[in-house]
Amino acid sequence: MRFDLPDAYWKKDVALFFGRKFALILKLLYPMAIIVPVAASGIPAKYAAAIIGIVAVMAGTFGAGESLTIDLNDGILVRVALTPLSPYRIVFEVLAVNAILDLIQLLPALLIVYLLHPVSPLWMLAATLAVFATLVAANCIGIFIANFTSSPADVLLYAAAILFPLIYLSGFFRNQHPTGILQTLRGFIPFAYTDDALKTVFGLTTGTTLLEILVYPTIICAVIAGAVCLTAPRLLSQRL
Amino acid sequence: MRSETENAPPALEAKNISRLYKSSRRGVSDVSLRVERGEVFGLMGPNGSGKSTLLRVLSTAIAPDSGSFFVGGVDGLKEKREVRARMGLMVDRPTHYDDLTGRANAYFFARAYGMEEAKAEGALAELFEYFDLAEYADDRVKTYSYGMGKKLALIEALAHGPEVLLLDEPSLGLDYTSQLAYQSRIRDLAASGVAVLLASNQVDEVEALCDRSAFLHRGEVVAEGTPEELISRVEGVRRIVATLRNPVEYGSLAEVGGVERVVPEGRDLIFHCEERPGIVADVVGGIVRSGGDIVNLSVQRPNLEDVFVKLTGEALRDEV
Repeated sequence: MRFDLPDAYWKKDVALFFGRKFALILKLLYPMAIIVPVAASGIPAKYAAAIIGIVAVMAGTFGAGESLTIDLNDGILVRVALTPLSPYRIVFEVLAVNAILDLIQLLPALLIVYLLHPVSPLWMLAATLAVFATLVAANCIGIFIANFTSSPADVLLYAAAILFPLIYLSGFFRNQHPTGILQTLRGFIPFAYTDDALKTVFGLTTGTTLLEILVYPTIICAVIAGAVCLTAPRLLSQRL
Repeated sequence: MRSETENAPPALEAKNISRLYKSSRRGVSDVSLRVERGEVFGLMGPNGSGKSTLLRVLSTAIAPDSGSFFVGGVDGLKEKREVRARMGLMVDRPTHYDDLTGRANAYFFARAYGMEEAKAEGALAELFEYFDLAEYADDRVKTYSYGMGKKLALIEALAHGPEVLLLDEPSLGLDYTSQLAYQSRIRDLAASGVAVLLASNQVDEVEALCDRSAFLHRGEVVAEGTPEELISRVEGVRRIVATLRNPVEYGSLAEVGGVERVVPEGRDLIFHCEERPGIVADVVGGIVRSGGDIVNLSVQRPNLEDVFVKLTGEALRDEV
């Protein structure tokens, strides 16, 4: 498989990700710089879990939203959309490759968390998958936002408007023991499962089972990803 | 064989295309044109006349408000991906992935157009060599000059062997040698049956390359024909080209009797004039009175630019 001569959109993104050496080092270091001190400190487990969750949410949303907005403004994405490639496939590849590259950025820091707070391999796997689900959902939000933005500053504004209620509902900080409608809504937000999985890693007990963490975010993310791919014709059209 | 060609649909056919931008109400209105296989069709008009808008519609980048177009008989509004696969495209402001090499950019597009690995590599190697870009093929595009970026965009447009080429100002920014190479390539492609729609304001380029051309003015086609047919419409017009050593204030030169327009082009002043006895002497006198020092003077036959001036009362390029 050759990345020096990319023959697919996702390979092009991989080539760009690994091609910018200095940016790559920064991308790998900044999650470590935030997450490792948190994991090594004695701060309450619920806040440690919340901080890791927030890092994943921000990395996913801003990464996809800003890079897409820049490529759209530059005109290169519209040029790619004028090839015979399916626009839905292009958006799916944008989503998939960005989520995986974001996970690669977070993985070293997560591994250190697991070293400092050993849990069973199954819970490690569940927590990692939950973080990946959060990255997928966050990238979906970033791609959705890019449908309406004309500058990276717009991405910040729109992302804040969408993420703040979702972060609240997920129970990262407030709404930790929701009831009624808040509890129902929390069940539909992938970030909430990441929060519960990470709390378990840090030694807290939540009501969420291993199976729920493996199954529910996967289903929710598949639905969101399908929906965001349907925005492809608008997203990839020329902005006039 | 002959009847097959006669019955084949045109390579590109646009029917009554209209597309106006809501913000400015500019764009194109009721434009129809037809480009046959092996034909190079020029689209001329000043900035804002609708050339790029028409190319955007025909490249499927934007949908028209009304009208339709077909590429090799395939409906461009209903079967976009099929139409895109048949076209090579060079947009007015080519962009690339700056952190990838020129070769990687071109390869990515060649594969996106469905070329197989070996064919793509072979075609690109030949094109990079042809356009004198082989030495820089493995450099990142962010190190390229504007002209090199344009050559890369041409390579990307040509590599997959399209049936129809849509080119927007392709030679702008190319050095002289590259312009010759590009023109030679377009002629070869046309000879092999490729249809080319070329939007350009380079009069020399259009006269040299195009079998037919059309003038767009304020979004509408105001004239269409072979360059010879179009130029024959302006009998009785002459262009006087004066090369000056020093810049002069030449607003008053338009007042000389028989002068219709004065357009500066570098060190040249181009006078679009009526053909009448004594006009050259009057123009020279006017330049001298304005303080101009004439280095060279020529009286030329009219070209497509004169046709446009005659038809619209406006210049193709910026006028002072």
